[in-house]
Amino acid sequence: MNAPAGDAAIDRARIEEFLIHEARLLDDRRFRDWMALFSDDGTYWVPSVPGQAGPFEQASLFYDDRELMKNRVERLEHPRIHVQTPPSRTAHLVGNLMIETVDEAKGEYAVSSTVIMVEYRDEHQRVFAGRQHHRLRRDGASFRIAHKRVDLVNCDSAFEPIAVPI
Amino acid sequence: MHNGNAHEMGRLIEPGRVHRDVYTDPAVFELEMDRIFGRAWLFVGHTSQVPNPGDFITTQLGRQPVVMTRHRDGNVHVLLNRCTHRGAKVVNERKGNAPRLTCCYHGWSFDTDGRLVAVPVPEGCAADFDKEQFGLARAPRVGQYRGFVFTSLSPRGASFEDHIGPMKGNIDDLVDRAPAGELALDAGMHRYTYAGNWKLQVENVLDSYHVPFGHASTVNKQGVQFARREGDQKGATVVETEKKQTAASWRERKSYIVGNGHGWTSNTTLDEGKRSSPAFNEYKRVLAEKVGAARAAEILTPRLHNSLIYPNMSIMGLNIHVRVIQPIAVDRTEVTIYPIRLVGAPDAMNFGNIRLLNVTHSAASFVQTDDLEAFVRTQKGLASRMTDWVDISRGLGDEEPDRALNATRALATHEMVVRAQYRAWLGYMREAA
Repeated sequence: MNAPAGDAAIDRARIEEFLIHEARLLDDRRFRDWMALFSDDGTYWVPSVPGQAGPFEQASLFYDDRELMKNRVERLEHPRIHVQTPPSRTAHLVGNLMIETVDEAKGEYAVSSTVIMVEYRDEHQRVFAGRQHHRLRRDGASFRIAHKRVDLVNCDSAFEPIAVPI
Repeated sequence: MHNGNAHEMGRLIEPGRVHRDVYTDPAVFELEMDRIFGRAWLFVGHTSQVPNPGDFITTQLGRQPVVMTRHRDGNVHVLLNRCTHRGAKVVNERKGNAPRLTCCYHGWSFDTDGRLVAVPVPEGCAADFDKEQFGLARAPRVGQYRGFVFTSLSPRGASFEDHIGPMKGNIDDLVDRAPAGELALDAGMHRYTYAGNWKLQVENVLDSYHVPFGHASTVNKQGVQFARREGDQKGATVVETEKKQTAASWRERKSYIVGNGHGWTSNTTLDEGKRSSPAFNEYKRVLAEKVGAARAAEILTPRLHNSLIYPNMSIMGLNIHVRVIQPIAVDRTEVTIYPIRLVGAPDAMNFGNIRLLNVTHSAASFVQTDDLEAFVRTQKGLASRMTDWVDISRGLGDEEPDRALNATRALATHEMVVRAQYRAWLGYMREAA
């Protein structure tokens, strides 16, 4: 279904602001607040091959539901998480936003954007980049994330540890 | 710098300690490439990765690129992935299917059993050019057990049976858990890398000592790890919080060695039969239907898990996967983790196992990432020239025979398995390739 012509510009502005807010929470290491952006049935997926069909039949870098997300966030807050001693600092940049589809019945928007995350930790800097896909569910004046998928350009490479979500 | 004579190699390994050069000296690494990776039996792949004629996977054995193929007659071949003409790597994809393997440079093309079948502009070939002599070289020795394909790049040395034989029970321990009695490594892979020596990861796969501390970030305030597996009601208790010490049940775990550098750890009270969820219960039902209740009960109390097949492959039986450790440089290693599908088990259970590895062993996992941090910091620490020795003496002299298993046993928090790895290491490294 295409977006109704009348309020497309408003939707777009709100969605963009929401994605920038999400990126900011990650950069500020406010992981608990980031998790709260997800709906109760929300999922976060980073596939390990380009065009991966699903999260169940094969390995993924991340496939977290809210329960795993909570485990992940608790670990990130743990004083003895060695791989975050010192912690990562990140800068996310979100752009090339496209509203792919709108499902008025569910109040959901399928949105894609390009994400670049620069990460610095322990004398090393590296770059993650790819296309991210959000399924956003209208929630009052804002949104909840029903599903977020990040397709990294190098998703099938050998990675050094990835401790923070992208 | 080391020249590789036997006496000099012998000085690097003592009964309870290892010289830092073993992890840091590029000359030692070069010798390892020849003397260990140039002749040991190395895991190449699993036949389930090449189910159909024309299927291939590529990998690296030490410095040697290889391609494993399924030929039209059903046979699996391990070929050296180097064109016999001018030397280009022939197959560049990690996996695929092709009727012929064609070199990108001058177009020589090879059948999936390695035979050279076509050369462009054949009239230019030397008068005595014989295509039969220019097939892709086959690995000198190949052995297979229950789908696991191993190769030795040397025509000499211990036989497949002598090397892998003592670990067949460990392979059975995992494969028998599949109701159909076979595994499939067809669920993709995790790949991670770290700035450290390959042996740091090899030592770690059987290291039960590090878990309560190294993985503290996965343990809650009650001393229990996050619930990890399908049907588990809670995770393992690794710390007794009042006493602030490693839990007794964890300390009682055992490790075993059987020669050749191999070993495994065992939780002797493990009872997988207690796991319960709709998917796991269905699995238990299907397994019992296939093999009978008595055999199913045996299979569900696995005792040979977290196994190391020396030098660089492990089979992990609890959060099930196969791991291959590939040395890249003296201070750079790449690791591949293959999730395992138990053929005949309910999809929901296999999916659960696959998902679990995302949080235990992916590059973004809760568990593996803290290990990698430890390896990197070890490599940094070993750069110190003020102290030459690494200590591996825990439990030295406390090893005891286990006659029932034809093995040697110790507490898993001891370092017997590491000492066994270095005895095997020295066995290879003393002798010129």
